[in-house]
Amino acid sequence: MYEIRFHGRGGQGAVMAAQTLAEAAVLQGFHAQAFPYFGAERRGAPVKAFTRIDEKRISLKSQIYKPDMLVILDGGLPDIEPIADGLRPEGKAVVNTTLRPEEYDLGISVDCVTVDATTIAYEKLKAPIVNTAILGAIAKADDIVSLDHVLQAIKDKFGEKLGERAGVLNAEAAKTAYDTCIEGRCKGERPLVQKATWLPPWEEIPPGTALPVANMGEVVVGPGSSWQNLTGTWRIQSPMYKKDKCVRCLRCWWSCPEGTIKRQEDDYMRWDYRYCKGCGVCANICPASAIEMKKGAREW
Amino acid sequence: MVTKVISADHAVAWAVRLARAEVVPAFPITPQTLIMELISEFINDGEMDAELIPAESEHSVMSVAVGASAGGVRTFTASASQGLALMHEMLYAAPQNRLPVVMVNVNRSLGAAAGIWLEHNDSMPERESGWLQCYVEDNQESLDMVLQAYRIAEDIQVMLPTMVCLDGFVLSHTVERVEIPGQEDVDAFLPKFKPMNVLDTESPKVFNPIVPPDYVVEMRYQLDWAMDSAREVIEKVDKEFGARFGRSYGGLFERYRMEDAEYALITLGTATTTARAAVDELRAQGKKAGLIKLRFMRPFPEKELVEATEGLRALGVFDRSIAMNRYGPVFTEVRGALASTDLPLTDHIGGLGGRDLTLEDMRAIYSIIGRSAESRPERCVFWHSLRGEQR
Repeated sequence: MYEIRFHGRGGQGAVMAAQTLAEAAVLQGFHAQAFPYFGAERRGAPVKAFTRIDEKRISLKSQIYKPDMLVILDGGLPDIEPIADGLRPEGKAVVNTTLRPEEYDLGISVDCVTVDATTIAYEKLKAPIVNTAILGAIAKADDIVSLDHVLQAIKDKFGEKLGERAGVLNAEAAKTAYDTCIEGRCKGERPLVQKATWLPPWEEIPPGTALPVANMGEVVVGPGSSWQNLTGTWRIQSPMYKKDKCVRCLRCWWSCPEGTIKRQEDDYMRWDYRYCKGCGVCANICPASAIEMKKGAREW
Repeated sequence: MVTKVISADHAVAWAVRLARAEVVPAFPITPQTLIMELISEFINDGEMDAELIPAESEHSVMSVAVGASAGGVRTFTASASQGLALMHEMLYAAPQNRLPVVMVNVNRSLGAAAGIWLEHNDSMPERESGWLQCYVEDNQESLDMVLQAYRIAEDIQVMLPTMVCLDGFVLSHTVERVEIPGQEDVDAFLPKFKPMNVLDTESPKVFNPIVPPDYVVEMRYQLDWAMDSAREVIEKVDKEFGARFGRSYGGLFERYRMEDAEYALITLGTATTTARAAVDELRAQGKKAGLIKLRFMRPFPEKELVEATEGLRALGVFDRSIAMNRYGPVFTEVRGALASTDLPLTDHIGGLGGRDLTLEDMRAIYSIIGRSAESRPERCVFWHSLRGEQR
């Protein structure tokens, strides 16, 4: 059995990547399963997805804790989550980053393929949806599935969902990634991030599903606790505001799902980049093209 | 204290008034409607200070009840049959949020095979929901149990919603002698509701958020544990009620002529009354028959029933509903509780859809149990008053 764990952000397509890899494995004659795990369905929130591949019928329905391969759709995730936890020492990593493997510190040194999937996705798809590019790098990292089967699965799956043209473009993104990714070995120098958790025994959970403002260990819960959750760290593209074009219609202001757009006295806007997660809703809804999404976590 | 000759529905309305419930969301359904009619009269006449909120459906009724209880006020509602079924989704909001709403369900069969008459197939499926659930035998007990239900539900050890089930028509529309306790006595027995969590802008809390898998196991266990601790609160409240009002009901269940009994029947609700008559007859004939009136389906008195049935040679269970293709739900519970014993058990299905349950039926039931003490019965489930042969 070969187990792959994907780490990405809501909107990057980790779930589709896991499913497409399973399809490629089935095209190759294997049994396969793929499934997601996510919390509240928020664009930009860390998500996990899993793919299992085996020669025989798969007899597990649980999550993957000791993966043979780790696929990281946002190279910055290990800064905030203990991504590499459980990765087998003989396992492999596939990372979307501009760094070379030997420059990338995953926290565990393993065979690694790095690829600038974000640039490829912007070029081929005009959006930071990196799932298909990363699939090309997966085919390079391990021959468990061949590139041909990966490309076929992408054309089938994305073609069926988004139209034939989208299928072809996404397959091209994968092929480009396969050709340009870099093989090597990543660094294992930094410790895994320790996340503060609150996992109390049952007696210590406040009864009645009602949480007051409180410190539970190192975790703040209850009303107002989201201040500690700097959703700005989720951002891989950033809204740039062109004040001269703004017609002060306020649509961006009331559409922002995180409330990060601050309305000024004169009805012009200001962005709170500590919490802006770069979802692009504001740019999409603006009738005056006064907001443009720019690649990367930037501020103006 | 005054004595009145009133129906169980009206006895319930009196209890709600005496309990000083402050919010009463309602939607009419026979045979519950008499309760809400009298409550609305009390409010109209200035005899009760409460908001009666007519909602557009039972689903909304339970939503209002949950909201009112979270607002920190004593809340009452009542329903039956299809109405309770429509509430099903919202019933689950009350227990985990620890909102001690009290509801009376006037048992009525859940269609199809639509009807307005008595069956327990409306309330029995809801015993999984986290509500305490008790069944009463007469009109006085209907009144008394609503008062007790608030004390039990609002006890800090419990803080769970409670459903008092009473038999449609056999109680709801039958008048009997009922003692109405004095307001001062009730006030002394039932202090003002002290909620566990309150919607309060001065002390904000997050209520009922999405709960990730990291916490749900512990929260469910907490709820299960709270329901289990309700067993001792039920016994305590019943004793205290008895000391104050001179009436007590045995808590989780009542034993009738069980001291030296060799065989016995477990009943719920009004079937108990007719079973008492059958037991008295058998005792007069020198036969050692006994009766257990099960009062609570949740919490279910497993340990207590094992102890109460020790020494019996046969036990029957009366069920006024059938879990299709299996047994009556009470039988399933009792058999689970007595799994470690080799007591012969029989299930007696009767009185479905309002079919009258007669003394003759009860005699037949006891006769089968008596026989099963001597030799293994030919089957486990017996349908009573069924026309045609049971196959």
